[in-house]
Amino acid sequence: MASNRTFTSPALSFELVARCSVTRARASILTLPHGTVNLPIFMPVATQASLKGLTPEQLEGTGCKLCLNNTYHLGLKPGQEVLDAVGGAHKLQGWNRNILTDSGGFQMVSLLKLANITEEGVRFLSPHDGSPMLLTPEHSMSLQNSIGSDIMMQLDDVLVTTSPDKARMREAMERSVRWLDRCIAAHKKPETQNLFCIIQGGLDLDMRRECCREMLARDTPGIAIGGLSGGEAKDDFCKVVATCTELLPDLKPRYVMGIGYPEDLVVSVALGADMFDCVWPTRTARFGNAVTKHGVLNMKREMFAADFGPIEEGCGCPCCRPVEEEGAMGITRAFVHHNAAKETAAAHLLTLHNVWYQLDLMRQAREAIIADQFPPFVKDFFGNLYSEKSSYPPWAVDALKGVGIDLLET
Amino acid sequence: MTAETQNSDSAAMRFEILRAAVKDGAAARVGRLAFAGRTPIDTPNFIGTTSRGALPHLTPDTVGKHLQVTGAYMALEDFIERPQQYLKRIPPIYSTPTTAKHHTRLHSFTAMPQSVTTVLSARRLPAVPSPMGNTNASVSVFTSTGFQILPTKEYLSAVQALEPDIAIPPADLTHSPITPNSKRALRMAERTDEWVVEWFSELADANSRISTFAPILPISYSIQWEYISRLAEDYLPTAQLSGLAIYDADLVPDLADHCAALLPLPRLSLANPPTPHHILRQIALGIDLFTLPFINTISDAGLALSFSFPPPDTSSSPTTNGSSSTRSLQPLAIDLSLPHHATAATTPLSPNCTCHACTAHHSAYVHHLLAAREMLGWTLLQIHNHAVVSAFFAGVRDALLQGDIKRFEEGARQFALAYEPEFPEGVGQKPRARGYQYKSVGDGEARRNKAAWGKLEGGEGEGEGAGEKGEKGV
Repeated sequence: MASNRTFTSPALSFELVARCSVTRARASILTLPHGTVNLPIFMPVATQASLKGLTPEQLEGTGCKLCLNNTYHLGLKPGQEVLDAVGGAHKLQGWNRNILTDSGGFQMVSLLKLANITEEGVRFLSPHDGSPMLLTPEHSMSLQNSIGSDIMMQLDDVLVTTSPDKARMREAMERSVRWLDRCIAAHKKPETQNLFCIIQGGLDLDMRRECCREMLARDTPGIAIGGLSGGEAKDDFCKVVATCTELLPDLKPRYVMGIGYPEDLVVSVALGADMFDCVWPTRTARFGNAVTKHGVLNMKREMFAADFGPIEEGCGCPCCRPVEEEGAMGITRAFVHHNAAKETAAAHLLTLHNVWYQLDLMRQAREAIIADQFPPFVKDFFGNLYSEKSSYPPWAVDALKGVGIDLLET
Repeated sequence: MTAETQNSDSAAMRFEILRAAVKDGAAARVGRLAFAGRTPIDTPNFIGTTSRGALPHLTPDTVGKHLQVTGAYMALEDFIERPQQYLKRIPPIYSTPTTAKHHTRLHSFTAMPQSVTTVLSARRLPAVPSPMGNTNASVSVFTSTGFQILPTKEYLSAVQALEPDIAIPPADLTHSPITPNSKRALRMAERTDEWVVEWFSELADANSRISTFAPILPISYSIQWEYISRLAEDYLPTAQLSGLAIYDADLVPDLADHCAALLPLPRLSLANPPTPHHILRQIALGIDLFTLPFINTISDAGLALSFSFPPPDTSSSPTTNGSSSTRSLQPLAIDLSLPHHATAATTPLSPNCTCHACTAHHSAYVHHLLAAREMLGWTLLQIHNHAVVSAFFAGVRDALLQGDIKRFEEGARQFALAYEPEFPEGVGQKPRARGYQYKSVGDGEARRNKAAWGKLEGGEGEGEGAGEKGEKGV
C-alpha cells in the first residue's frame, strides 16, 4: 500500500523502497526541492560552497545529488548580505542539485575554544576581528534561509560525547529541544526548505531515548543523530545509533552526522541509518590518500612511482576507467604519485576518485538491500577490506551481530 | 598581402601558410600546423604551459572539455627527479605503457587529452637558472629534488622514449636576464651546434613521429650564423628539421634577411612575452606559435584576463580634437579579489566571455573562492584566462585573414591605445607555493603570501586563520 510506504511534507517526500530482511537496513527515495535522492547516501562536504577543487560539473558527474555546505563558513564568507544579493548558495556555486547545511553550532565548538554557550545562544569571538558575536537559533535559521539549503539543521548544544559531566549533558540535550522550538518558530520558508532536528544526549542511551521522544513530538520532516564522531569508542557509537533508529519512525530520513569511514557507513546502514557526511574522503585525498575497497592507499609511497594501474582496479570513476572509454581519463597511480603534494591537479583527481568511491559504496549497498542481498554485501565488503577475519574490528563484528549478521561465521 | 600558399611538411607534421603579409621576409602570417591524430593548430596561436605534466589546477577531463588549448609545453626536468632514498631509480615515465588512445608515453603518463599536441623541452618555462652551468655534453636541470646533470644523450633517448609531437633539441642557454658576453655567446652557439648535429645523427633512422624544432639562441645572429646555416643547408633538405624554437623573437628579421630557406618553417616562440602587447609585436615579427607562462601566473594572482582583439570600439565618445588621449586605458585583467566583486552578483568574469567559468559561474563566486582560498577559484580562472587568450588569437587570425596586413596593424595600434601597458598586481593571496619551482633569489625577497600561523599572543585574535582550516572531522 503506497500510503504505508510514503511520507510527504511540504518540501520533502520520503518513499521506503525496500527493507533488508535480516538487518535494519533500508533503501528509500527522498525527494527534495532540487531533485530526487536515493538513500542510503553519502554526502560530500563542500564546506565553503566548493568541493575542494572539483567543479560543480565534475561533482555532478560523480552522481552526487546532495552535498553539504557549512553555515558557519558561509556566514563569514561570503556573508549573509552577499548570499541574499546573489540569491542563495545554489546560485552562488552554480549547483542545481540539493544542499544540506549544518547549523553552525558544531564549528563554534570545534573551532573556537572560547565559545560560551548560554540559553540565548553561542557566544564567541569573531575570527575576523575578535569582536564578540552571538549565534542564536533565530540567527542560524535566518542564515540558512538566506543560503536556501534544501535541508537545514537546527542549532543544537553540542557537547563532546565523552564528557563525563552528566548534568551538563542533560542540560545540552534539553536545551537542544528548546532550541528546536525556537528554530521551528524562526524558520521562514518551511514550504521550500526542510528543517531537521538533531538528537543529542551523549552516550547515555536513556537520555538519547528521552531526546528521541521529545524531538519526534516536534514532527520535523527528517531526523539527525548528532554529537557523535567526537572521539567516542566505536562500540558506544554503534549503540547510540542502534538505540535511536529503534525509536525512529520508518517513513522519515535518518541522518547520522559526521560519519565517513567506509566501515562506519556500512555498519550504520545495517543499523538503519540513511544519510551520512564527512570531510575525511576529500581531506585525505589532499594528503595523497586514495580510498579503495582494499583500504586506503597512500599514493605518495615509492611503491606507486612506477605503478601504471588505475588508482583502483575496476573502479568506475572518471580517473580510473581506461582512457578509451567515454568521459574517462585513464589516470595511473604513477601520475598521481608524480604530482601528489606537488600539483593541485593530483589532489583534484584523488578527490574525484574518493567521492566517487563513497557514493558508489552507498549505491551498491542500496542495490543489495533492494535485492535483499545486504548481508552478503556486508560480508564481501569486510572480506575485501581485511585479508583475515581475525583482523576485523571487534566493534563492527559486535554491532553487526546485534542486527543479525555474523561476520565471523564460515 | 600575397595569398600564396607555402607548405612545410615532414612525415608527421604539416604546416600550411594560408596567408602571409609579405612574399619574402618575415611578417605576420596565418597558417595551420597539423600533427597526425591531433587537433590542427590554427596560427598565430598559443599552447598551454604545463607543470609536471599538468596544466596547473586543471584535471585532464577539464582540459579536454573546457579548454580550447590545442598544445601543451612539457619539460623533461619535471619527470626525472631522483629522490634521496632512490638515487638509482630510472624515471618511471620512461616505462609507461601506451594504450590504443594514448599511443605515446608522454600522453599516457600525463593523461593529456589525445587531441592535444605535445612539445617537449629539457627545461621548464621560465627555467630556474642553474648555478652549475652546462658542460660540453650535458645541460644542468632543476628537478623537484634539486639540480641535476642531464647528459644530452640521455635527453635524446628520453625524447625517443616519450615521443612528443614536437621535440626541442638541447640548447646551451644561461636562463639569465643578463646578456652573455661574446665569448660565452660563441660557446653557446658552438655547443648548441654540436648538440644539434648529435641529435640529428641519432634521430636520423629513428622515430619519424617526432618533429624537431631547432633552437634559435637569444644571442645576435652574427654569432650563431654558422649554426643556423647548418640547419638550413644540412637538415632542411632532408626534412629532418620541422620548425624553429625561437628564444628571442627579434632574430626573426635576421633569419629572413640571411636565411630565407628557413622561412616556411613554423616558428615557436619561447621568449615568454609578458603581456599581450608583446605578443602582438612578436606576431608582427612573424611568430606562429607561443608559449605563455604568464597565463598560469595571472590565474594564481586572482586575475581574470579582460582583453580582446581587436579592442572593443570605444571611440563613440566624442573627442573633438581627434585625440585618443582623453580615453582612459582599460585594464588587461580584472582583480577578482577586490571587494566590489563580492556583490557584483552574477556577471561573467569579463564582459561577453562565453567560457565555462563565465557561463556556469560568475565573478561573485570566484571572488568568494579567492577570499576563502578554495582551490576551485584558480581552476575557474585558468579556464577563463585560457579562453580569453584563445579568443584573442582568433581575433588576430580574423584580422589577418579578412583584411590585409593593415587591418592587423591598425588593430594592434588600437590595442596599444586601449589597454594599460601591464597587468595589475593582484591583491589576493596566491596558492601555496609548492617549493622547488620558485627558487629564491637571495636575501630581501618578499614573502609570496603572508604567514598563515603566528605566535599566540594572549587570548586576542586566537581565531586568526582558524576559520579556514576548520571542518568537521571524525
